[in-house]
Amino acid sequence: MIAAQAVPLKWGTSAAGKARRSFDRGTSAAGKARRSRSAGSTGASSWDLRIFGLAIAAIAFSFALAVVYVSQSTALSVAGYDVQKLAAQRDELRRQISLLDVQSARLDSPARIAADAQRLGMVHARYVPLIPAQPLIAKR
Amino acid sequence: MPTVRPGRLRLLFALFAASSLVLAGRLAYWQTFGRAVLLERATDQVRSDLVVAAQRGVIRDRNGAILATTVQLRSLYALPSRIPDKAVAAHELGILLGRDPAPIRASLESGAEWLYIQRWLPEETASAIAALHIPGLGFQTEPKRLYPNDAIGAAVLGFVNDDGQGVNGVEGYYDAMLRGTDGRLVVERDPANRDLAVGLREAVAPRDGADLTLTIDLVAQTAAERELAAAMKKEHATSGSILVVDPADGSIRALASAPTYDPSAVRLADPEALRDRAIAWPYEPGSTMKAVTISAALNEHLVRPTDSYNDVGYTIVGGRRLNNALGKAYGPTTVSQILERSLNAGAAWVGTKLGAQRLSDYFHLFGFGRPTEVDLAGEVSGTVRPLAEWYPVDVGTASFGQGVSVTPLQLAMAYAAIANGGTLYRPYVVASRRDADGEHRTAPVAVSHPVTADTAATVRSMLLATVDIGIAHNAAIAGFSVAGKTGTAQIAGPDGSYIDDQYVSSFAGFFPADDPKYVVVVVLEKPNSRLLGTVTATDAFKGVAQDILRYARIQPDRRP
Repeated sequence: MIAAQAVPLKWGTSAAGKARRSFDRGTSAAGKARRSRSAGSTGASSWDLRIFGLAIAAIAFSFALAVVYVSQSTALSVAGYDVQKLAAQRDELRRQISLLDVQSARLDSPARIAADAQRLGMVHARYVPLIPAQPLIAKR
Repeated sequence: MPTVRPGRLRLLFALFAASSLVLAGRLAYWQTFGRAVLLERATDQVRSDLVVAAQRGVIRDRNGAILATTVQLRSLYALPSRIPDKAVAAHELGILLGRDPAPIRASLESGAEWLYIQRWLPEETASAIAALHIPGLGFQTEPKRLYPNDAIGAAVLGFVNDDGQGVNGVEGYYDAMLRGTDGRLVVERDPANRDLAVGLREAVAPRDGADLTLTIDLVAQTAAERELAAAMKKEHATSGSILVVDPADGSIRALASAPTYDPSAVRLADPEALRDRAIAWPYEPGSTMKAVTISAALNEHLVRPTDSYNDVGYTIVGGRRLNNALGKAYGPTTVSQILERSLNAGAAWVGTKLGAQRLSDYFHLFGFGRPTEVDLAGEVSGTVRPLAEWYPVDVGTASFGQGVSVTPLQLAMAYAAIANGGTLYRPYVVASRRDADGEHRTAPVAVSHPVTADTAATVRSMLLATVDIGIAHNAAIAGFSVAGKTGTAQIAGPDGSYIDDQYVSSFAGFFPADDPKYVVVVVLEKPNSRLLGTVTATDAFKGVAQDILRYARIQPDRRP
């Protein structure tokens, strides 16, 4: 209850609060007298409240910062793990590519092709007859 | 109420105070002087300091075909304590690995905490084992050098040993360049051994090895290996070599050496097979050297192709009689006919005209007696003895290739000099290398000009006649002009005397003779058919030449 009453004095925006603040700011002699009497105690509590509020704000801000930091750091770690997974995938794909390159080179090897052809009953042509092009051109 | 004496309280207080001081001091020590040690220990628990291995460079032939490459293969390891049934696991592994399960089971039951079952598995086998999902088995990738063409080109390529070091051939000569520089990665890891994205991270990227493109042509190389294997089989020869060289720049298109080996399985190779006969086998060349002697005499204008002498089947040099092969006499003989008939007496006659000094000088100008400086590991120089050690007879014997030793590569380069018009090039096998800085091409290097272009042209026509109408007729190819010379040399024993009935048969030639594109040298050690080993050598030459002519689409320069 005390807090509920005290807070509107400083921060409230309700009509009652405004009325109270306008009452406090009153220009009547009675009001001035009351203010001068209570200036010491009310001013002190007002400063306490401000400091308290600032502290709360600082704590809240720090907490928010900490939450942001932790969440960012967690996100970064997760992203780091993802990067590692992707790097591992990339390395594996590169490995597969190099294995396929080797397999392709094996299949293209002239010695292997010759051996396969031999298995199919083909023989290496020792002599390939060549027809000179010049006489053919001359006949045309 | 019991009372406590003040003295005891003081003592207790003093004890607490002293303990507090000791603890505070110790704490202060660890926070100041000992801080680094503690920090180191703490960091060590999470920090991982890894060597990031550089990828060894790829070796390709002149057309881009892969000759050697490094791939990451899976190696199978076991944590035996985690394998529920070792007998079943060993049995299944034995089937897939093609091995006896008993030794596998024995190793699993040996009490080892961790062990390799088999390293560098073929991919299909690794996948089949992974599909078994046997607990306690795992894979680790390891780099392995693979040679897709198996033994083809082994002498050129060399191999990589288990320490990752290149040995012999290109792998040995360019090891530092192929190997690259390892990198380093220092990173913090979580309990699951994963890299942490946040925290300590120092990385030095590895510098991968350079990729090499060779002058070797896989098709020519395969033809050379095939013909050499056939000749070796036919003659039961001890060893042999075939070289194909481009005379225009000294680039080596094929280099075969027998016996050979599979560079992927060097452990199984005969140690003698690891010697590259093309560059590390000095032998007495015999009659193939006559072309060099006659080139020198022609270049010095001491003889002309039409000059003649009376061949009586022998000549006397330094008081010793030097016979023709089989002691046959030919009567009046021209210089050209010395090559066509391969006459020792004629070569010695030309040699004596030159004299020992000039003959020795020309041998050196043609590149004999010193390494060719080819970019392959393990080359030897051959021997041309210093002139001071020559006996009077040596000028005669050296003229026809006795008393000097050469490597097949040296002979090929000398013939390339005759073929290209008189320039001796340094042979090379690496056409270019590609690294992080870009591509670097090898420029041909002219070592010397032993003879003029005119002399070279004259010798080419003499060598052409040697094939067309002379002793090397078996090397003729229908439709093409071929020039070349056979060689049969005796083999010197450990005591320096020649061994009976053991020869080195060879043929050195080039084609097309008028505009030579390729020089081919075939050398066979101790062929069964002895003096007729040159027939097999010329057969091998023709086999290689015909394949290359077709493959390189060289137009016939003669009517078939």
